[in-house]
Amino acid sequence: MGYVTDAARALATTLRNALRPPTTVEFPAVIRPRAERYRASFALPDDEHGEVACIACLACERICPSQVIKMKSGGKRESPVSGKKRAYVDEFVLDLSACIQCELCIQVCNSDAITMTREPEAPSFSREDLVLNLVRLRANAHDKTAAWGRGTVLQEMQEPPKAEKPPVRAPTEAPKPIQAKEPPADAIAEPKQPPAPPPQPATATATVPETETP
Amino acid sequence: MHVQSAGRGRVDPHASVRSYDPEADMMLLHFGPQHPSTHGVFRMDLYLDGEIVVKATPYLGYLHRAVEKLCEKLTYTQSTPIVDKNDYVSPMCNEQALNMAFEKLLGIEVPRRARWIRTIFAELQRIASHLLWLGTFGLDLGGALGGGSTLFLHCFRERELILDLFEDVTGARFHYNTHTIGGNRHDLPAGWNAKVKAALATIESRLPEYEAMSLANSIFVARTKGVGRLDGELALELGITGPILRASGVDHDLRRDAPYHAYDEMEVRVAVARGGDCLARAEVRFAELRESIRLTRSAIDGVPEGPICGFKPIRQPTQVKATSGQVYAALESPRGELGTFLIAGGDTPTSPYRLKIRPPSLHALSAIPYILPGYTVSDAVAILGSLDPIMGEVDR
Amino acid sequence: MSPLVHGAAYGVVIVSALLTVIAFGIWFERKFAGRMQSRLGPTIVGPVGLFQPLADVVKLLQKEDIVPKDADRHLFDIAPILAALCSLGAAAVVPFSSSMVAADLDIGVLYVLGIGGLMVIPTFCAGWASNNKFALLGAMRAIAQSVSYGVPLVLSVLVPVILAGSMSVSGIVAWQSTHHWVAVWPIIPGLPAFFLFFLAMLAESNRIPFDIPEAESELVAGVTTEYTGAKFVLFYMAEYVHTLVGSALGAALFFGGWDGPFAPGLHWMVAKTLAIFVVVYWVRWSLLRLRADQLMDLCWKRLTPIGVALVLLAAAWVQYGPEGAR
Repeated sequence: MGYVTDAARALATTLRNALRPPTTVEFPAVIRPRAERYRASFALPDDEHGEVACIACLACERICPSQVIKMKSGGKRESPVSGKKRAYVDEFVLDLSACIQCELCIQVCNSDAITMTREPEAPSFSREDLVLNLVRLRANAHDKTAAWGRGTVLQEMQEPPKAEKPPVRAPTEAPKPIQAKEPPADAIAEPKQPPAPPPQPATATATVPETETP
Repeated sequence: MHVQSAGRGRVDPHASVRSYDPEADMMLLHFGPQHPSTHGVFRMDLYLDGEIVVKATPYLGYLHRAVEKLCEKLTYTQSTPIVDKNDYVSPMCNEQALNMAFEKLLGIEVPRRARWIRTIFAELQRIASHLLWLGTFGLDLGGALGGGSTLFLHCFRERELILDLFEDVTGARFHYNTHTIGGNRHDLPAGWNAKVKAALATIESRLPEYEAMSLANSIFVARTKGVGRLDGELALELGITGPILRASGVDHDLRRDAPYHAYDEMEVRVAVARGGDCLARAEVRFAELRESIRLTRSAIDGVPEGPICGFKPIRQPTQVKATSGQVYAALESPRGELGTFLIAGGDTPTSPYRLKIRPPSLHALSAIPYILPGYTVSDAVAILGSLDPIMGEVDR
Repeated sequence: MSPLVHGAAYGVVIVSALLTVIAFGIWFERKFAGRMQSRLGPTIVGPVGLFQPLADVVKLLQKEDIVPKDADRHLFDIAPILAALCSLGAAAVVPFSSSMVAADLDIGVLYVLGIGGLMVIPTFCAGWASNNKFALLGAMRAIAQSVSYGVPLVLSVLVPVILAGSMSVSGIVAWQSTHHWVAVWPIIPGLPAFFLFFLAMLAESNRIPFDIPEAESELVAGVTTEYTGAKFVLFYMAEYVHTLVGSALGAALFFGGWDGPFAPGLHWMVAKTLAIFVVVYWVRWSLLRLRADQLMDLCWKRLTPIGVALVLLAAAWVQYGPEGAR
């Protein structure tokens, strides 16, 4: 008889659950709100001048345990917007299909130049669609909501208070002159070559194509 | 049942099958690696005499991902998200075990707030892991198209509450990478306490429902009572720890006996059972579930203020250096003693020479050749479920 | 008209009706199971997911028909067909109303028990012919289970037979319409007999908690492991039809079939059948599975003695009871 009463109790339990509203929703018609700190995809936001904030310091490329970030920089150039010389990142590739979402790249970025987004990338039919390049990453900064975790926020949260650390370098600070000793981004690559796609402020190069077309 | 059962003296797992009974007509059944209930990619070769298992041989290694070798090549700062994926059901414990070893090696003191947060994470993770165990055990006993799957989905519904809590703190539902050398990376957000208490209240209210469908259900008891008896001595010899050891009568729990995190400031009541069978293991895990709820509830409001990290935040991969030293640090994961053995001084000071992880599930699976013979195929499934192996940490 | 034409016409109607009810039943089961598990169930195919069974069947039908290399080809092919035939065949004697019955056999009960017992053969054929150890284990368990649970099934069915004095199913229903329903009065052999019939019917159709022949967590898919495509559809259908026909028989033999407090007819039969059908699924999605030896234990040590006692009680009722010897 024990079987019968226990079976009855199990049946009552499932019936009670059947009468409760279901827990699942029909995705993607209904999308549940995620937590405030949810992290999904990536973005390279702009700085206050509207240019890409990333200076290709390679910190995120070096820290990534899965080595999914690869970037190239053509060296420092004068910014067309602010007029100051700064480092730029020219190619940035993040292979989202191999990313393990560990947030270490965000953690190490001292200038919040790489952030995560709260919306994931849409599923796609080809692997190439999951490789985020610079264009997509910059677009994500506008199209998607930034996640809570940014490098400066995390580092400040983790900083033990007894160590009096100088504040994180603000973008308006001038770069220190000793930086010339350690070439930032050229080290990865090829010898210096004039970068072709980004806008060239000097007028000298503007005449180059003119002379090429007789 | 009868043949060579563990109750009648120790089974010799290396004995040849032919010596069993020359007249018997035995059948070799490959159980897995592709099977609905092998808890991951795991293979057992079962020699069956009718339905009774005569000899069982486990085969591991199907999920080997060279985690330890990878950690030798990566630096200390990069290893946490890699070992996160060992015991993929309780990632917090993996991260904590690894970082405890690093902290011991470098002599870094973890601040009190970080230790309390780690304790709360560990206990919440224990609840989540035991809920998952209960669900998959139900699947093993009742089938994916039947009563087992109902229990499974109910347990997962409550486990989602805990994953949501973790998402509130870290931003990720699974594989958090929230621990770092010296403490934690994410601090608790405002209002988290209330959410934790609400989640615990919901889980506690559903526990009687789980019992109605499992522990208090006579079909469950009939399937698990007397099945897979493991005696305490054999368990100790094989290095089994955790709920399986406690279910065989040995009162040993690292949280109480070798306290870490903030367990020295709390009273951990350890659940011990005498039977050593699947039912005893189920009861121990259920009791641990209740105990974790109680511990979390008592700890959540007492988290002290202060820093959450005792070391510099990670800014470069090469910032943690160690040239010599050997440590072993262990904690009590939901499966048993999860330890990290670390020898520093690899090719570069920023990587270890050897990082060895002591997975509790490996030792649990080593009991299979001893406790499976003498029971039927259905019992073999129940026993495997009650050992709660996670192949990710077994194979690493 | 000749019984053959009558039977054939009814056969077509009944088989179509059963398959339609099965389609609805699959949908209902998945929704009900979904709600019990706190989720939605099918929602996309058709309004509220109503066409999901159709989608399932179409999906299964377009799958490749794989036959394992050393399988016994003929047995492998014939097993699902035989299973479907046996389950559908039992529906021939079920009276859907006082005038709707495909074959009004005098030995209807014996026929049903015989055809249901034949289900062992396709199960064993499938298990043996698949050349798969999991299927073989499933087949062995299935034979033990089917043959053993035939005994409480027969004993429980004997109670309405004795009370009504007829082995014809429509005769039993007709008797119940003039006297009381068997499960209601006399309640002591009647309700436990229904309960016994319910358990035995679950075991004969391999439903949880007695589904070790196709125990998914132990035996992959048990007897049907190697079946794909159209043959799997036949097994799938056979299982549902067996359950539905068993529910219909339970409704007919114990709850008065098409009889009702007002307006007797087909609708009562349908309602009672569906009620028992729902309870079968409710039990399936709530309980865990019994082990093979515990199942045998239950059958021989508990259900069979109870069944014998119930038959004796029914005979005593008829002989010495208030309604006197019929």
